[in-house]
Formats: sequence, C-alpha cells, structure tokens
Amino acid sequence: MRKLNTFRANSSGQLLIVAALIIALMISSTTIYVYELNKGAGYSNSPAFTDFALSLKQSTRNAMIGALANASNGGTGAVLSENLNHFSDVVRRLNQFGVCNLTCSLFEDSVYDLGIWFSWNSSEVDVSGAYADFGLIVDGFASRVSVPYAINVTTSLAGNCSYVLEGTEKHVNVTCRLYNEGEPALAKNITVFYESGVDWIQTGGSTIDYGNGTYLINITAPFDTTQILLNVWDMRGILVQAKYALS
Amino acid sequence: MRNENAGQIRIIEAVFAVFVIFSAFAVTANLPAAQNTSRSDNLSSVGLQVLMKLDSDGSLGRNLDQGHWTVLRECLTLAIPAGISFNMTVYDEQMHEVNTAVISNGGFGSQEVSFTEYVCASRDLTLNCYAIHLYLAVTQ
Repeated sequence: MRKLNTFRANSSGQLLIVAALIIALMISSTTIYVYELNKGAGYSNSPAFTDFALSLKQSTRNAMIGALANASNGGTGAVLSENLNHFSDVVRRLNQFGVCNLTCSLFEDSVYDLGIWFSWNSSEVDVSGAYADFGLIVDGFASRVSVPYAINVTTSLAGNCSYVLEGTEKHVNVTCRLYNEGEPALAKNITVFYESGVDWIQTGGSTIDYGNGTYLINITAPFDTTQILLNVWDMRGILVQAKYALS
Repeated sequence: MRNENAGQIRIIEAVFAVFVIFSAFAVTANLPAAQNTSRSDNLSSVGLQVLMKLDSDGSLGRNLDQGHWTVLRECLTLAIPAGISFNMTVYDEQMHEVNTAVISNGGFGSQEVSFTEYVCASRDLTLNCYAIHLYLAVTQ
C-alpha cells in the first residue's frame, strides 16, 4: 500500500504533463476541424466573391456576343474559340481572390459547330446562336473554389410573308418578330432584298416598328419575284437572315 | 536529495503543462480567418455592381473602345450613390493605362478606400479586354 502511494506521489507530475498534452491535442484538433469546415465553404459564399463571379460571367457573355456578331457578319467560325481563349488569358491575370483559371468547352452537336449555330433560310424560325460551358477555378490561400456556368446567346427571327399581285408588281407584307434569348428584342437595322434571276436586289419599302420586337415590312417587287431575303441585325450587332418564298 | 527537490520539480512540471496548453491556443489562434467582412467590402460590392450595371447592355465596353471618358465619368456620377467619391483607371491587356482623362469626382477624404477590379470585354466585332480599377471612398 505504501509502495503504491509512493508511486502515485512520484508520478503525479508526469500524469499532469500527459493530461496537458491530451488537452492540447484536443484543442488543436477541434480548432483545425472547425477551420477546415470553414475552409470548405471558403469565400465562395461571400457576397464579394459572388459579385466577382457574376461580373466574370457577364464579361464572358459580352465576349460571346462580340464573337457571334463577328461570325454572323462574315467572320470565321473559329472566332468564338479565339475570343474565349483570349478572354481566358486576361482572366488568368486577375488575382483579387487568388489565381483564376477559366476553362471553356464549346458546344458541339449536329447543329452547333465550334459553339456556333446558324439556322438561316431554313424554316419559320431563323437562328444565330452560340453556346459554351465554362469552369472558373479560383485557387486562393485558404481555399479552391470552382464555379461552373454555361452561356447561351441566341438571336432568332420568326416571321411570315404574304403578297398581293397588282398588275406587274407584287405588294409583299412581311411580319417578323425578333428575339434575344427567347425574349422580344429590338432591331438595329433591317434590309430587304428580292430575287431577280441570280441576283438579289435591295429594296426600300416601309417598316412599321411596333416597339415590342415585332416589325411589319411592306415592299413592292416585280411580279416574277419568287423569293425575298431579310437581313435583321439586333441591337448587339448579331445578324440573322431569313428567306420567304412568294408562291 | 530527491525529497528536497520534489517540490521544485512539481512546479516545473506544472509550468510545462500550462505552457503546452497555451501553446496549443497560440498555434490555433494564428490560423488565418476564413472570412472577414468589413465596410470596405460593402463599398467594393457597390462599385462592382455599378460597373456590372453599366456593362449589362455593352455600353461600358463601347465607351471604353471609343475613349468617351467624360461620358464614363458622368455615368459613374449618376450611378454611384451620393456621398461616395470615386476614381477609375482603365488599363489595357498589357496593363498600360488607357484613359487619357481623369475619371473621378474629387479627392478622397476618407481613410477607408475600397478597391474593385473589373474585367470588361467589349462587344465589338474585334474583342477588346480592359481591366478597370475603381477606388471608392465615403466622402467626409
């Protein structure tokens, strides 16, 4: 019994240190666990980062709009990938929240080629469109945040055409509705052509703007005209083309 | 000898135990804070939202392309809430200053100045990118 008491008395200091080490370990592990939990969310939930991601998304959309305007006005089909690669290089230089890396994947299917789709002169609805998927990765000190998003830019034109034969002329009425991403949009410019043999002759006529994306166009064409061609530019400079048969 | 020094050893051990616990506190307290928000963050958010609003229809990029610095200053004066001073600098992709006129509504009286960086891509047929640095401060 005395021996046990002697042992307790001799070892009480070591036990104190072991207990202190255990307590220190518990404090450290709890704090690091809580810190890691916060790190998972990181600044991705902060309003500043949300605004930053939204602003990049908007700038990406603008870059795509410029590329689609370029391609629809006769530019090459590769302009979208060139512009987006260029934009990604610029984004890489940002360092407000960490090192930014923007990757993009241009949509490809039976109608989209390098992320661009033109469906002109084909049906009742004619479309100029661009679509791409993006991944914004921000490597910060405390966390790594990934923000995936997709951007779809479309300008579509829905219309119908009728005519009245009067003597040697056809009086043609075209009603068309312009949309941006499915919402009614205003046109910046509209030009009308009628077919004459193998040529297309530009004609004036009158245009009534209803102010809601709907336009009524009246033109006069020779009686043997079989087709008219409409070029419509939206306010963003994207061209969409439609052909209507007069038969 | 052992019994004579036993008291001092207990004290040293107790001090060591206290040191171990406090060192745990000291190490964990120095982990960087995951989130910290301040008033300048809110001001910075105001700046970013103003720039996004101006860029929503492409007018910001168009004015930058055409060098309409006075128009930009007037737009910012209208869009930024009263009582906030601003100073905007526009850089091209090589970080050369582009604006040839000062885009500001006066000096900064406040010690708390917020910084907003915005990348503007113009909708021009040829892509132009600009880095906009917007400084905001509450006027005193």
